[in-house]
Amino acid sequence: MTPIAFINDQPFSITPGETILKFVRRNFGHDFVPTLCDAPNLEPFGSCRVCSVDVALVQAGNAKAQASCHTPVIPNSYIYTDSDRIKKLRKNIIELVLTDHPLDCLTCEVNNNCELQTVAARVGIRDVRYPAGKNHLDKKKDLSHPYMTSDFSKCINCFRCVRACDEVQGEFVLSMSGRGFDSHIIKSNENNFFESDCVSCGACAQACPTSAISDVFESKSVVADKKVRTVCTYCGVGCNLDVAVVNGKVKSIQAPYDSDVNQGHTCLKGRFAFSFYNHPDRIKTPMIRRNGELQPATWDEAYNFIAEKLTTILKDYGADSIAGISSARCTNEENYIMQKFIRAVIGTNNIDCCARVCHSPTALGMQRAFGTGAATNSVEDIKHTDCIMVIGANPTDAHPVTGAKIKQFFMKGKPTIVIDPRRTELAKYATYHLQLRPGTNVALLNMMMYYIITEKLEAKEFIEKRTEGYNDFCNQILKVDIAEMESITGVDRNLVREAAMAYAKAPNAMSFHGLGVTEHTQGSYTVMLISDLAMITGNIGRKGVGVNPLRGQNNVQGAADMGCQPHQGAGYMNAYDPEINKQYEAFYKRKIPFGKGLKIPEMFDAAIEGNLKAIWLMGEDVVQTDPNTNKVIAAMKNLDLLVLQEIFMTETCKYATVVLPGATFLEKSGTYTNAERRIQKVQKVVEPLEGTKADGQIIVDIMNRMGYSQAPYEADTMLEEISQIVPFFAGVKWSELGDNGKQWPVRKDGTDTEILHLENFQRVDGKGKFHYFDFKESNEIVKNGKQYPYIITTNRELEHYNSGTMTRRTGNVDILTEDVLMIHPDDAIKNLINEGDMVCVESPRGKVDIKARITDEVKPGILSTTFHFPDVMLNIITSDEHDSEAMCPEYKVVAVNIRKSKGSFKKQNAPLKV
Amino acid sequence: MGKKILLEHIDKPGIKSYEVYRQNGGYNSVEKALKEMKPSDIVEEVKKSGLRGRGGAGFPAGMKWSFIDKKSGNPRYLVCNADESEPGTFKDRYLMEFIPHLLIEGMITSSIALESNLGFIYIRGEYKWIKKILEQAISEARAAGWLGHNILGTGYSLELVVHPGAGAYICGEETALLESLEGKRGNPRIKPPFPAVKGLYGNPTVVNNVETIATVPWIINNGGDAYAKIGIGRSTGTKLISACGNINKPGVYEIELGLPVEEFLNSDEYCGGVHNGKMLKAVVAGGSSVPILPAELFLKTKKGESRLMSYESLSDGGFESGTMLGSGGFIVYDEDQCIVRNTWNFSRFYHHESCGQCSPCREGTGWMEKVLHNLESGHGKMSDIDLLWDIQKKIDGNTICPLGDAAAWPVASAIRHFREEFEWHIEYTHEAQKRNYGLLKSTKEFFAASVV
Ligand SMILES: Cc1cc2nc3c(=O)[nH]c(=O)nc-3n(C[C@H](O)[C@H](O)[C@H](O)COP(=O)(O)O)c2cc1C
Ligand code: SF4
Ligand code: SF4
Ligand code: SF4
Ligand code: SF4
Ligand code: FES
Repeated sequence: MTPIAFINDQPFSITPGETILKFVRRNFGHDFVPTLCDAPNLEPFGSCRVCSVDVALVQAGNAKAQASCHTPVIPNSYIYTDSDRIKKLRKNIIELVLTDHPLDCLTCEVNNNCELQTVAARVGIRDVRYPAGKNHLDKKKDLSHPYMTSDFSKCINCFRCVRACDEVQGEFVLSMSGRGFDSHIIKSNENNFFESDCVSCGACAQACPTSAISDVFESKSVVADKKVRTVCTYCGVGCNLDVAVVNGKVKSIQAPYDSDVNQGHTCLKGRFAFSFYNHPDRIKTPMIRRNGELQPATWDEAYNFIAEKLTTILKDYGADSIAGISSARCTNEENYIMQKFIRAVIGTNNIDCCARVCHSPTALGMQRAFGTGAATNSVEDIKHTDCIMVIGANPTDAHPVTGAKIKQFFMKGKPTIVIDPRRTELAKYATYHLQLRPGTNVALLNMMMYYIITEKLEAKEFIEKRTEGYNDFCNQILKVDIAEMESITGVDRNLVREAAMAYAKAPNAMSFHGLGVTEHTQGSYTVMLISDLAMITGNIGRKGVGVNPLRGQNNVQGAADMGCQPHQGAGYMNAYDPEINKQYEAFYKRKIPFGKGLKIPEMFDAAIEGNLKAIWLMGEDVVQTDPNTNKVIAAMKNLDLLVLQEIFMTETCKYATVVLPGATFLEKSGTYTNAERRIQKVQKVVEPLEGTKADGQIIVDIMNRMGYSQAPYEADTMLEEISQIVPFFAGVKWSELGDNGKQWPVRKDGTDTEILHLENFQRVDGKGKFHYFDFKESNEIVKNGKQYPYIITTNRELEHYNSGTMTRRTGNVDILTEDVLMIHPDDAIKNLINEGDMVCVESPRGKVDIKARITDEVKPGILSTTFHFPDVMLNIITSDEHDSEAMCPEYKVVAVNIRKSKGSFKKQNAPLKV
Repeated sequence: MGKKILLEHIDKPGIKSYEVYRQNGGYNSVEKALKEMKPSDIVEEVKKSGLRGRGGAGFPAGMKWSFIDKKSGNPRYLVCNADESEPGTFKDRYLMEFIPHLLIEGMITSSIALESNLGFIYIRGEYKWIKKILEQAISEARAAGWLGHNILGTGYSLELVVHPGAGAYICGEETALLESLEGKRGNPRIKPPFPAVKGLYGNPTVVNNVETIATVPWIINNGGDAYAKIGIGRSTGTKLISACGNINKPGVYEIELGLPVEEFLNSDEYCGGVHNGKMLKAVVAGGSSVPILPAELFLKTKKGESRLMSYESLSDGGFESGTMLGSGGFIVYDEDQCIVRNTWNFSRFYHHESCGQCSPCREGTGWMEKVLHNLESGHGKMSDIDLLWDIQKKIDGNTICPLGDAAAWPVASAIRHFREEFEWHIEYTHEAQKRNYGLLKSTKEFFAASVV
């Protein structure tokens, strides 16, 4: 029998372990009991006591007031939510709180959306009986920060901000200082927001029930005309955003608490970095290069120009002289239509997207190991795991909301492993930090597997039943020369052994990986070894385990799903197989090529060789972001036609023949698929800026111009088309995606999938496959290591997104103003470099100047930097080496030399005004 | 002479030192506990003894120990609460200062019972010199083999750590104490979970008062039944009382529970009567938190029975006419004392010490102090008394930790039993601004002034 308890003498059944508040709310709705210190995404705290209810053990018996938010329901107890006594109590408490609160509601930014105000009205406060006394009404406002603000005269000491910063973000910036009446919130060491350690996630502002902590956009005010729920465009976490619109303009952004992905949390990019969307720099008209200069043109002129050019090139050189590069920043529908355009209208498999430069090895490696190139589990599983391994990823900067969840786990005392050349924030909290030399992941993972086997910690039953190729794999691993690997990786073998054992012994272990795995010559191999590690320990196919790539861009998963790679069409079907091709042909109603297509680096080579004549680029700044800038420029210059869809003038625009103004994520609808395969609705918040168009519409327009009849770009119909060709989208319908989307595969009946490979792998025989690989030194080191003894690796900072085109046009630029070079103190001394000096970093490709930041987060001999600011043009020095299988460039290992400089290369490389 | 358990050897010269303490049978209980008893036997004896927590709440110690989760395999901790900061209470200090090894011996035997290998003594920050005494005692005990690795060759190991507070009364509340011990701000935790389930660093923890722990060796040596025979009813054993205020012989006394209050107050063995032969006006029987009682209600219950120094007798009549034994801080007020001023004084303390988490306590203690200050200094109005009553009622039972209650009770009891004094302060504001009500009332001047 389920236990019951009574609410105002009515019986209801109890869910085990629930609090009185949850119990009452479940049955009577959210507003039935007033609360102040309680918040949806925080642990119960019990400090305001406004939620008190009477609890008696017999009907109408002797009652005791209990704070409902943290008191568990006692079976058979009688809960009275509104007895006179309780009403009086609530009123009295609020009255006490109001004695130290300015009564200037009408001019307060949160007027009508203030929990204190609501509760005060609810409990019926009319006047305050206390004489004027000591108060905190003269507290000064803090306006030091580009986003965060505070006005502690409005603070009611509910601790919600402190808890949000501790429990949600894990930054521990805020705390309560002083005691009793003197209690007051402080930031770090009594600093202001700007000087504090605040990472501007905004969790505290959203949590604060009053306007005591808020943001410059006044996101808690109610002036909005409407709120639109959409998905963040900045990373693969896929946070849901509630965007407030006033007069057709974005006013502010908050995070919905009911979002499965982010539960009311975001990072500063999602919440605050939106002002780029109507920045004066936005491109507002198509442009055609005439007499060497980009000149404004009408859409018709531009379309005609392009159609004509493309037709000529098709005629003169054939379809394979044209290529398209799609964008993992754009929606699924846009990616789908882009590849359809290239395959069905142009007639070539020369289609690729920016996933090439980030997670192509993940897709390839995981497909070979498991049959599916996608995260096996969900981020939610962090709650159910016993061990987390993070390899080659820095999620607290690059995937902040997932990063915060991982960090919370890291602080809970369970075994955690970080494999990274840098002492990242997570590494500081990890049980084991294996600080390897960049480029030696394969060696390190082989060591781990060696110890798992020699310590007899393999999951025999799992291996037996669900995998193949283990015996060979095992024999190979046992031949690994541990001493040699130890010296290659630079990591103590005992530490590796302990970490391997911790991972193997955990009942459930999860791994997360990022670009530190993929952007290497052995990137795909590393992905397969991570998959081996999961299989050898049986960590696949249930909650709290798996291999989980952290996708960089918001729709890397989706772009690949939609077929933006040469060898696989929409839904990953083999594009080179004439049989399968028939299916596509029937669906697209055109002849579809099955010849090999070019991957991005191959496109550049082909362009330089003169075989590729035209590239259509949808929203990618290849000149700044692809490696070996000078080579990319040479390729761009050698084209007859370079069409560019962009929102801002980028480095690549300098070489464009035609520039078409696209629309931002706030101006169009569609879907993004996040790193956990969750297809979520992106909904148009505001109309596209005058003169711009949704990128999908641009492609549709040109398809029609070139004689292919394609319906206008609409999210729902386009998604409908996709669901008919992409098998794992079979049951995806725009109207059924709801607020939280669905995780693919989505069956015809609409049910989705949280965890992959529950019983079978998606490979032909249903088994997972073990692969062994020897460690191989990167060519870059073999060829150039002697002459260029330092290794530079590239990374990201929280505040900026890739080349910074968007984030540099927001307040984020006031928080992080430049790229810096991380350099170990020993190396700094050796090269007479001081903090803040300009350092010339030279590789066989070229030289750049970067400002030194001396830190022991990197080991001696290792340097690290970002490429958020174009004045460094870091990719001048990166190499042509790439992953042997997926051709993902090796951004993470570049052989360089350093010396103190005067900064002249910085000036020389600085972008020209376009 | 009543039975002495804790202070039996207190007068032996040199009892502070290990040698003398050992010569007087010290540490025998450790040997017995380790060699002759199973941990569960010790818990059983303590249960049988009926020993109740001496920190104030009087919760049966054996029962608390039996709640501790030994199955999870997580480390368990014993934490001794030596924060003793309640106005009027100074018994633990006496014990620790003059017979430190008794606490150490108790910590060891109690830890054996709980199968804990690490214990903490959280000591009030101002007791700096006592911290040194305890540390000295610990190092002597370790040198003699009672602490450290593999004690008496039994395979049992124990370390003890003395950790000082930093001057916050709230850190005496057991969960605030644990937070503080963990290095955090001393904010009480919400309960459940209780420390026995999730205490220090999230592990099962027992928090006991100094006196509670110091009693354990005697129970092991003499058996729980022997202890239960001492005292009266459910108030078994002896209790340390720190007596102060207007009495002839302030100090710390060990009494057998059940001693008539009158005897305790007047006998020369204990307080030696009210100072200067004045009349008894009121008593706070168990530390500043417990309700204050006027002389009549203190000496005799409402039903007319003589009160005894026991948990039950002192609380006879509930808060209407009774009080609590509390922590044993016994404060006596003679006829010259002003209750309003005293209440204001206590309020000031609680306001200053409130941690500030819960709104009723944070704001309420502030307002009580403010209103009482107005009243006492002759700036009050009649409605203030009702306001005070209202505030204390909204705090009482409606906070995270009992500090809120502790702040409310003295105010409630003062109004309940001494309302006319409050009214006088309002009616005769001029007098209240100049004079102390107590002194005034005990002389003829009072009547003269009242007539004006
Ligand atoms: C505000 C406050 C202060 C307290 N201070 C002390 C103290 O100084 N010493 C103490 O033993 N108990 C103190 N207590 C009681 C403890 O919370 C706890 O009940 C006690 O340490 C348990 O030990 P016992 O069961 O042995 O009495 C205090 C409680 C409160 C609410
Ligand atoms: S914005 Fe985020 S990091 Fe900054 S104080 Fe608030 S919760 Fe903490
Ligand atoms: S700043 Fe806001 S959230 Fe923080 S304690 Fe004050 S009122 Fe509560
Ligand atoms: S974590 Fe990623 S998806 Fe979420 S708000 Fe930040 S950038 Fe956007
Ligand atoms: S009752 Fe007072 S001291 Fe106790 S937790 Fe609440 S505010 Fe802090
Ligand atoms: S909501 Fe329960 S105490 Fe604040």
